[in-house]
Amino acid sequence: MASTPLPPAQSYRRAAVYDWITTVDHKKIGIMYVVSSFVFFLIGGLLALVIRTELAAPGLQFVSEATYNSIFGLHAINMIFLFVMPMLTGLGNYIVPLQVGAADMAFPRVNALSFWVFITGGLLIESSFLFGGAPVGWTMYAPLSTQAPETGVNLLVLGLIMTGISSILGAINFLVTLFRLRAPGMGLLRMPMFCWTQLVTSVLLLFSIPVVTAGLIMIFIDRNYGGGFFEPSLGGNPILWQHVFWFFGHPEVYILILPAFGIVSEIIPVFSRKPLFGYRAFVIATASIGALGFTVWAHHMFTTGAVYLPFFSFFTFLIAVPTGIKFFNWLATMWGGKLTFDTPMLYACGFIALFLIGGLDGAFLAVVPFDFMVQDTYWVVSHIHYVLVAGSLFAILAALFYWFPKMSGRKLDERLGKAQFWLLFVGTNVTFFPQHMLGLDGMIRRIADYSANAGWTELNFTSSVGAFMIAGAVLMFMWNVFATMRGPADAGDDPWDANTLEWATTSPPPVYNFDHLPPVRSERPLFDLKHRDDGHAPVAAISLSVTEGPVQ
Amino acid sequence: MEITRESLRVFNAARAANRHLSLIGLALFATLLLAACATRGDDYPTSAGSPAFLPGKVVTQQGREAADLYLPIFIIAVVVFVLIEGILLFVALRFRRKRGDDTLPGQRHGNNVLELLWTGIPAVIVGVLFVVSTGVLLKVDAIAPNPAVTVDVTGFQWQWTFDYKDQGLSFTGAGKDGPEMVVPVDETIHIRLHSVDVIHSFYVPQFFRKLDVVPGRINEFQVNVEQEGTFGGQCAEFCGLAHADMYFTVRAVDRATFDQWVTDEQLKAAATPQPAPSGGPTAAKLQVSAVNKLAFEQATLRAPADVPLTIEFQNLDPVNPHNVSIKAGQPDGKDWIGLPIAKAGQVAVYQAPALPAGEYGYYCSVHPNMTGTLTVQ
Repeated sequence: MASTPLPPAQSYRRAAVYDWITTVDHKKIGIMYVVSSFVFFLIGGLLALVIRTELAAPGLQFVSEATYNSIFGLHAINMIFLFVMPMLTGLGNYIVPLQVGAADMAFPRVNALSFWVFITGGLLIESSFLFGGAPVGWTMYAPLSTQAPETGVNLLVLGLIMTGISSILGAINFLVTLFRLRAPGMGLLRMPMFCWTQLVTSVLLLFSIPVVTAGLIMIFIDRNYGGGFFEPSLGGNPILWQHVFWFFGHPEVYILILPAFGIVSEIIPVFSRKPLFGYRAFVIATASIGALGFTVWAHHMFTTGAVYLPFFSFFTFLIAVPTGIKFFNWLATMWGGKLTFDTPMLYACGFIALFLIGGLDGAFLAVVPFDFMVQDTYWVVSHIHYVLVAGSLFAILAALFYWFPKMSGRKLDERLGKAQFWLLFVGTNVTFFPQHMLGLDGMIRRIADYSANAGWTELNFTSSVGAFMIAGAVLMFMWNVFATMRGPADAGDDPWDANTLEWATTSPPPVYNFDHLPPVRSERPLFDLKHRDDGHAPVAAISLSVTEGPVQ
Repeated sequence: MEITRESLRVFNAARAANRHLSLIGLALFATLLLAACATRGDDYPTSAGSPAFLPGKVVTQQGREAADLYLPIFIIAVVVFVLIEGILLFVALRFRRKRGDDTLPGQRHGNNVLELLWTGIPAVIVGVLFVVSTGVLLKVDAIAPNPAVTVDVTGFQWQWTFDYKDQGLSFTGAGKDGPEMVVPVDETIHIRLHSVDVIHSFYVPQFFRKLDVVPGRINEFQVNVEQEGTFGGQCAEFCGLAHADMYFTVRAVDRATFDQWVTDEQLKAAATPQPAPSGGPTAAKLQVSAVNKLAFEQATLRAPADVPLTIEFQNLDPVNPHNVSIKAGQPDGKDWIGLPIAKAGQVAVYQAPALPAGEYGYYCSVHPNMTGTLTVQ
């Protein structure tokens, strides 16, 4: 593999902290995103444990209703805006320039700016705990959010505006990087699938975040200056906020899951030793999910009595089709392969097995008369967690196990990783599956308490036990990272025998990533390099290739 | 139809098994149950049965139409689930790389026929589901021209008011149980939803539907209740502090009982316009007021022991209804709820029972966050 001699050590040394704070290196920024979003994940996870502890038995034992009402919203805000989004941005930051063979992101300083804007936004959001909390849910429905007296809600709104600005800057950066900085020979249809999903995600961000940012500013004006955008007593319309919010909020769902699809689509071919089955179909499916993602927002508003139901029902059904394609393509990739089940592959398979449940739930919810029953119940809570835990979180863990050797030069412990996978797999189902049944029986969400006579006690207790299993799996992961970092950096450049360019440089890569790039003749340049005599690169792709980099 | 019924039997058996599991669980968690001291919505919990894979009891004609959609979709979902998980398991077991096998498998990049198939078949399935579910939606949302009873429901933080305008009746809930809506069975009930503050949602699980209660618009729907009984309901849209306590009940009775109930309630309303502010010479008089829904103006009150209390409550809040209720203020230890609730800008006079000496909490049963301490000595 390419090994890059580092330039001679600098004659002066700056403090390491100063070095990290002022860095514009996409890899350091990526690691800072990953680490800080993991800290926010721990905060969100603690809030989830508070929720599950309170709900373990009927009655109020642990927190008051007032506290509880802030906690469930801030749990969601932490997990969505401060964990999954920045974690995927961070992984993209680290991996995308490497996968396209670039030296850095297109705008390294803007990249650093978006990270620090994100941190500022995150701190503003967390500070709302100190100013009365934010008992408005993550959806911040007006006029509850415009009337809530807590200062914490202002901080939450300001923090979300900041993280939105960070996302817009990041999306522009990704798009320019992907369109302008690809290695010679890497046409758009030879981009790794993770890059494709980052591309579509960036487009979604660019079109949806400005809308919700405008809405958040209106909420802020309504709250503090009597704006009357959403406040009915001033002639405003509370349903308008829901349209604005969900016009962002549904594409947001795909912002949280498309890069996860990308991660799984990177890992499965590597551990099956086969190319991704139907690469072009996969690209088309990703793009059409992105487009259809903007046509379904009001399915979150079926029970408002204020939307044209058949339109949104139709497109909600339709979006199931491209999602289904991906499942079959993953399975067909594995079919006839030579599979090894290292931890990244286990998580990718766990993703397929459990995200399927979240996806099937989605088809149920497209049935409007059924949505009338389960909207705002634990059935929907179960659905979103099968999508965000079994989906996004599993994929993020797959990615961390897969790319950890690249980032640190060390492989995470496999035995610990596998044990953690099985604990998380079981814990996720124990926590979230019973919630389907609770919701179908009528248990609504966002309540600190429920009747002891409703027959929900055992399933809620089961769900709470599962939450602590998930917490145990997270602790195992943290221990794994801690223990691995104390060991030697002996993973090597390409420990998984992978396909894409990030494995064609050292682990961790030097400051500007590559001094040699292998030629790119397909979506698997490294595979072509390793197996060129076997003739497995698509023949057409080779004959069409005009540029060729230096070969080692 | 037959197939559906047969499968229903299978799934009912599954539900029964489920219930047995629940019983074991109940035994296991008995300690926890004893420790728990739940007091709300207990008589008619907002539960549609015991939680299971299939919908519980559904008591309206419209709800039944919707709930009947569940089973076919559930079966399709189970088939897809078994298919995908089956392939995944098969692949994971069959195509493992053997130890020491370093050869490459066949590098297949795709197959157009297969890919068209697994795009086309799901597209047809969801197309059919869309047509069927939209047909049911039209029935569920249908509005008949001449409903037998119309109830205007007003949601506010954190209670409900049920107005029967044609009968001249109005009920505002107080305390955790909320108000009761009485309706005749097998007739069309028209429900109109109003909100005076934030968004709420009118949800009766056994009606298999909810509809949001939105300020600035009136949502309407109709139900034909097919069974007599009392069914719990609850606000389903997060609406602030006491959202979890916004209960109500719907009682469905036959037509004769309903007519009798209307007559009785009309007489009751005529007989007690407002409790007279007498209280007698022995009663002690307390004055309480509130200007908003955050707190009473008085954080503490004092009263003599063992004397009936007359509480004059001035609601100076221009928007919200309030009352005064006393925790454990009844001889049997239950909360004493001040009725009727004082509407915005009104004065209400309550006659509370005599209390033995001690410290009591008082609160607004509409806004449980409004609290104070009543010292009786």
